[in-house]
Amino acid sequence: MRFKCDIIRRKYLFAACFLAIIGLGSLHRLNAQQVDLLLKGGHVIDPKNGIDSQKDVAITDGKISAVSDNIPASSAKRVVDVTGLYVTPGIIDMHAHVFYGTDTDSYLANGLHGVQPDAFSFRSGVTTIVDAGSSGWRNFRQFKKQTIDHSQTRILAFLNIVGTGMYGRYEEQDVTDMNPVMTAYMIKRLYPDILVGIKAAHYWGTFTQVDSAVAAGKLADVPVIVDFGEHHPPNSIRDLFMVHLRPGDIFTHTFSSGPRNRESIVDDVTGVVKPFVFEAQKRGIVFDVGHGGGAFSWVQAVPAIEQGFRPTTISTDLHTESMNAGMKDMSNVMSKFLALGLPLQEVILRSTWNPAQVIHRPDLGTLSVGSVADVTVFNLQKGDFGFVDVKRKTLKGHEKLVAELTVRAGRVVWDLNGISTPLYTKPDTYR
Amino acid sequence: MKDSEVIRPCIRTKPNWTISMIPLTVVVALMLSFSARVCQGQEYSLLIKNGHVIDPKNHIDGVMDVAVADGKIAMVAPNIDASQAKKVVDATGFYVTPGLINIHTHVFVGSKANTFADGVSSVSPDDFTFRSGVTTVVDAGTSGWRNFPQFKKQVIETSKTRILAFLNIFGSGMIGAPAEQDTNNMSEQMALATIKKYPDIIVGTCIGHYSGSSWTPFDAAERTAKMADRPLFVECHLPELSLQDQLNHMRPGDIMTHAYEDIKERMPVVDEQGKLRPFVLKAKQRGILFDVGHGGAGFWFSQAIPAFKQGLAPNSFGTDLHRFSMNAGMKNMLNVMSKYLTMGMSLNDIILRASWLSAQSIKRPDLGNLSKGSVADIAVLSIQQGNFGFVDAGNNKITGNRKLQTEMTVRAGRIVWDLNGISAKLYTMQ
Repeated sequence: MRFKCDIIRRKYLFAACFLAIIGLGSLHRLNAQQVDLLLKGGHVIDPKNGIDSQKDVAITDGKISAVSDNIPASSAKRVVDVTGLYVTPGIIDMHAHVFYGTDTDSYLANGLHGVQPDAFSFRSGVTTIVDAGSSGWRNFRQFKKQTIDHSQTRILAFLNIVGTGMYGRYEEQDVTDMNPVMTAYMIKRLYPDILVGIKAAHYWGTFTQVDSAVAAGKLADVPVIVDFGEHHPPNSIRDLFMVHLRPGDIFTHTFSSGPRNRESIVDDVTGVVKPFVFEAQKRGIVFDVGHGGGAFSWVQAVPAIEQGFRPTTISTDLHTESMNAGMKDMSNVMSKFLALGLPLQEVILRSTWNPAQVIHRPDLGTLSVGSVADVTVFNLQKGDFGFVDVKRKTLKGHEKLVAELTVRAGRVVWDLNGISTPLYTKPDTYR
Repeated sequence: MKDSEVIRPCIRTKPNWTISMIPLTVVVALMLSFSARVCQGQEYSLLIKNGHVIDPKNHIDGVMDVAVADGKIAMVAPNIDASQAKKVVDATGFYVTPGLINIHTHVFVGSKANTFADGVSSVSPDDFTFRSGVTTVVDAGTSGWRNFPQFKKQVIETSKTRILAFLNIFGSGMIGAPAEQDTNNMSEQMALATIKKYPDIIVGTCIGHYSGSSWTPFDAAERTAKMADRPLFVECHLPELSLQDQLNHMRPGDIMTHAYEDIKERMPVVDEQGKLRPFVLKAKQRGILFDVGHGGAGFWFSQAIPAFKQGLAPNSFGTDLHRFSMNAGMKNMLNVMSKYLTMGMSLNDIILRASWLSAQSIKRPDLGNLSKGSVADIAVLSIQQGNFGFVDAGNNKITGNRKLQTEMTVRAGRIVWDLNGISAKLYTMQ
């Protein structure tokens, strides 16, 4: 229809074209073709809205315009057949390091160990990445200018309680650079749409850093995410959960087994989840995966899941030391939880609606009508797969999530097998 | 995917006596000698067993074992004794090939906006290489003599991937206009001096992104390459210089990339009737090498399919990896290779081009092969069966039922990628 109209426009005035269309009785169809992109025939999993069945998803003007049975293909400018595939909200990776830069002395703040977000996000179904404290209030503006403003992926961030962010282990011990007022000011007054919380990490002391971060969290009314435990002997995680953190605050690297100065959630000797961990969950402490290069071990994850423990959020801790090791990418980490026995619906919940709530962004992680059209289409591959942890141990699995199509604000930004593109045909002029 | 690993401890069998029967010293002496003997026997750090080895340089195409020691290929032969290796990986059902070489990438990544040289339009090599079986990339002229040292310090020395480079004839490389147009920014002398200073990294010169009608930069790049006894790599965006003239200005061994491009600023190799232009075929016969250079706009099935049928197969599968190709139809090197698998090229032919021919094109015969003594850069690939689609720069797709996948990548003897944990031990409850 649009093509026909274009030809007519070239020959006549717009009004004539408009009238001619009315004359042809096509106005209804033109009006109806208001859907930009229609994902048809997929199995929709949208935990926020309790949807877990075959539905069509319509996208208009970069937003979700309808999720229902049998939206007619004629209503859409572009239709993608996603039969046999799963359609979910765009995945949120709540723990990554994407403040990539060229300061060779730095670790994750403008350093070589961070990664470019777009190189990993869309190909694993991720549309939102939350940087976990790579920058602090001193260098966040550089991070924004350098990375956030130039990425197609939506980048949010936890601001490090240390002013220089994760420049290096030495700078991260500087208690005089842990300033709750400056940190909260930057979050609340300058960048409330990007900064979703505060990070405390890599601290060699006791609870000083966490308490500073929580003080800032109270001032800015945002959650705190904690990478806890570089003090010898280990600080008590029970005290962390029950005394120092608030409900809604986040404990990351949940399934870390060691190093020795880090207390684990499963008792290393008995293999039993420590009872206070369940109490902490009841209290509202959030448990995040944060796989990384050293923080996900089957010896913790397998018994924990068997005993009924569930992480609130699944995330990667993406950086150069995790990307080519057992972690690989978000869809691989999600697949590990399928291998651990979680149903697909639970895995999606913990990668979409749960992280959206944890970072107080209920506008994300859903397919509600009117939401930004961040959508992922997954293929649940069947086969014999192996999943490796940080101790180089393999757990076998028979399912693996592969991102077939990723849509960011209504635009197709990843299409593994070209399901949204037409078949090549030989040009007419060729003999 | 399969039972993964057989780790051979130094002492495998217990002596069948009780310790109390023999003086302690004897036990210690026996154990020491026994372990020493077995450990000495473990001469390989890694043994990849039962894979189908494709090593075109050495005409190997069959089930073989590949042994690695000290970061080098120690032996390729049938039935190498597993007890000789510290780590054994079962590669049954997989293909074992030389580490792949991607001769067209942009990896001078940095933090500057809207630019390739030291900018965010380039990508970090390690993010893409190992997961697609690539162990060597060649940067295609992102840096010139002025900023090559920075590229070296910032990326080459900090990456695990082997990074080689074509040096841009413009001093600042792909820093964007107007510096890429300024002939005063060129110096054959400095370019040549830079190549001579870094002969192990710089494999040739590069010309591209020049919109003037003067042949000065092109010929300067050509002369410099000739002086350095290295190839010239001809990039895209030379709108005022005709394809035929470009090919005529090139020497045998020079490389024309974006071979199957169909954009306004360069005449496509296949004409409107679908016929490969005779002068292109003649250039190929004269020894000009054609690289895919897929990129965001450099690969069209309407060019590549008829060209392939009419005798212009690519010599190499350079991907033109950068920010704008990575998430589009290109994706990664194996995806580009899988397009040719779908178009009907044999797997052996594909591996030949992705390894040994690529190595020869950059005059690095030490790479792209599994010869004894070569650096142990190895790819272990599988062919996935299923329904796959492959998209070109025009957003058209072809469909096929086979796709290459990287199971494991070894760089200088170290396992740097292991998709399904075939080199790892199985998790068992403690």
